[in-house]
Amino acid sequence: MTNIGTSTRAFFDRSNIDISGLRAQAEALQARLGRNERLSRSSEDPVAASRLRTLARAERHAKIDTVNSNRASTDLALADTALTSFSDAIIRTQVLASLASNGTLSPTQRADIGSELGEIHSRLVALANARDSSGHALFGGEAAGDAYVLDGLGNATYIGTLNAGELPLGDGQSVTRGVTGPEFLNFTVNGTATNLLAEVKALANALNGAVADPQAAARTALDALGVGLDAVTTSQTIVGSRLAWIDLAAERSTNLGELRADEQAEIGATDIGTTVAELQHVMLVLEASQASFAQLANVSLFNALR
Amino acid sequence: MASDLLTIAHSGTRAARLSLDLTAQNIANAGSEGYVRRSVRLAEVAAAGGFMRVNDLSMSGVRLDRLVRNADLFRQAEVRRTGADAARANAEVAGLENIESAVEQAKLFPAIVQFEASLQQLAGDPVDPSLRAAVIEDVRTMTRAFNMAATGLEAAGDGLRFEAADGVAQVNLLAGELARLNQRLARSADATSDQTALLDKRDLLLEQLSQHVDISATIAPDQTVQVRLGGAGGLPLVDGATSGTLAMSTGADGTIAFALDGTAVSPAAGSLAGKAQALSQLAEVSADLDDIATGLVATLNAAQAAGAALDGSAGQPMLSGTGAADIALAFEDGSLIATAPAGSGAGSRDPGNLDALRAALGTSDPAGAMDALIFGISSAVQGRSVTRDALQTIAGTARVALQAQSGVDLDQEAVNLLRFQQAFQASGQAMQVAVDIFDTLLGIR
Repeated sequence: MTNIGTSTRAFFDRSNIDISGLRAQAEALQARLGRNERLSRSSEDPVAASRLRTLARAERHAKIDTVNSNRASTDLALADTALTSFSDAIIRTQVLASLASNGTLSPTQRADIGSELGEIHSRLVALANARDSSGHALFGGEAAGDAYVLDGLGNATYIGTLNAGELPLGDGQSVTRGVTGPEFLNFTVNGTATNLLAEVKALANALNGAVADPQAAARTALDALGVGLDAVTTSQTIVGSRLAWIDLAAERSTNLGELRADEQAEIGATDIGTTVAELQHVMLVLEASQASFAQLANVSLFNALR
Repeated sequence: MASDLLTIAHSGTRAARLSLDLTAQNIANAGSEGYVRRSVRLAEVAAAGGFMRVNDLSMSGVRLDRLVRNADLFRQAEVRRTGADAARANAEVAGLENIESAVEQAKLFPAIVQFEASLQQLAGDPVDPSLRAAVIEDVRTMTRAFNMAATGLEAAGDGLRFEAADGVAQVNLLAGELARLNQRLARSADATSDQTALLDKRDLLLEQLSQHVDISATIAPDQTVQVRLGGAGGLPLVDGATSGTLAMSTGADGTIAFALDGTAVSPAAGSLAGKAQALSQLAEVSADLDDIATGLVATLNAAQAAGAALDGSAGQPMLSGTGAADIALAFEDGSLIATAPAGSGAGSRDPGNLDALRAALGTSDPAGAMDALIFGISSAVQGRSVTRDALQTIAGTARVALQAQSGVDLDQEAVNLLRFQQAFQASGQAMQVAVDIFDTLLGIR
């Protein structure tokens, strides 16, 4: 609708609306640049705002996933180190056992070996009760406190839980956060279930004179120790592959994080180039309309007529 | 009857003076609200020939026929109608924006996400006292955010109801004013400056009234106005010298309803309609927010009941409250969070119950519901803003169209000043001629 005639008041009103509208546009663009966020409230673009909320939620969860997977990988690394110590101890036990199985040794020398094996046993118990990064039993599953207790005779008994428990790594992935003691200390020799701590303890006792033929006991123990070493090595392999899995998950999480950041920037951040150009455009129009308003407002017949 | 040059010239100067006065009046009122530009309509004073004087010259000059108010009834009605629509949309969008701010600025969504995150972190080591304390603090933050959102919504509702009550008072005031004006209009003489001023006032009042409710106005031949609420078949708000009384009632859920003289009415436009729409939206949002809050209370407490606290005791309810306004943390001791399944011993690191809680939260998904709630409001705001902008443009165009026709154009008035000044001078000149003629006649010797 075109209005040929216009009243003075309408002219001022209209100019006011136009100029203040342009000014508001320029200020909105400026605020966008200042905050580096495209949206100041959800209603400016509800879909994008909702997407940003979802991304922020995923981001927050991913951060916690990183914390959790760091924790898991620390615990597994600790378990790995402890397992290495276990295998060292087993190898030393094997050396001692083969020494003891040698017929040239005197009973006193065997008893000395038995004492050393006793020491190794207590070291193994201490290792089995090692603590993880948050101070809980490393090989005790989800139990609080120690994984193994010693009875009055010095025999170690497992008091932890059956499973080590899983830790979520995000996106539905999870990792078993450790190994329980029985998983690598218990094994079967010739159809008989036994465990490493008991074997070492029995050998130590045998060499100290608990059995009639310590030499034969040492020989049988060698078999058992071989199987025990295999069990520990197998567990170490499992721990290693879990560590690799965590690394893989972490890498995936990092990639996803990058994708999220990209999308966040695309949806939520100000495109500086476009915004500045737009601002420049609005400023130009604003300046022009202000100038033309000033010109027009100055033109009055009253000035011309004398 | 003979013509009298002096009298004719005198009437001419008088008419010119009058026109000049009116021009000055127009200029003076160029900025007055509701002022409609006046112009004079002049008419010749000439007697028709009478008996025996059929071809006589009987010119007696000029007289003021009437004051013309340059108002167009159709354009005024358009301004009222479109203005009422724009006012409704404005009020609704303003109300919805307040609702949006109340929910969004309470940072409820981040608070729920943070709560989820701290539960997730607790899964890393369920017996860690600092992680348990973090969960407690995040639950507290979340409940406070709920409280804040509820308070914000309540405040927004109070503001809307207060404004609506004020709007109703304004409607009643304007209706009473119009009824009084009707009385005076019925008594005022036709086309006098008295009447034109009253008409200006009448149109202004009608326009103000249409900002609050949608009205249809019928102008009687005596210039009095009958105002009906809603369309032409609506209830009469102003009829002659009587005016109705609009009343507002507030429902239990905070929505408002209107009644005119006891009969329920629902305005379709005007700010009152917009406020009523915003309030019903607010009631929905409040109910949704309460649903999310009670859902959280139920999920968390059910999970707590199914588990064992750090000391092995049965889990206690973690949250209390029946809605967003009164949701609160029931205990402050982090060790009471039941992460282990029921029957676990003291200090159990078994996260079975924590996993169950997280799974239950995953199913009820309060963060997703919150996101949907915010999305619903914000897209309502966005959609309504588009409508509002369109209606405002239409209303602005109608207003400009009316002003272009009825407003004062200073340039035109400047021209009129000159024109009437010249007319005055010319009439003076005519008098001079009359005097000269008279002197000539007297000077005959």
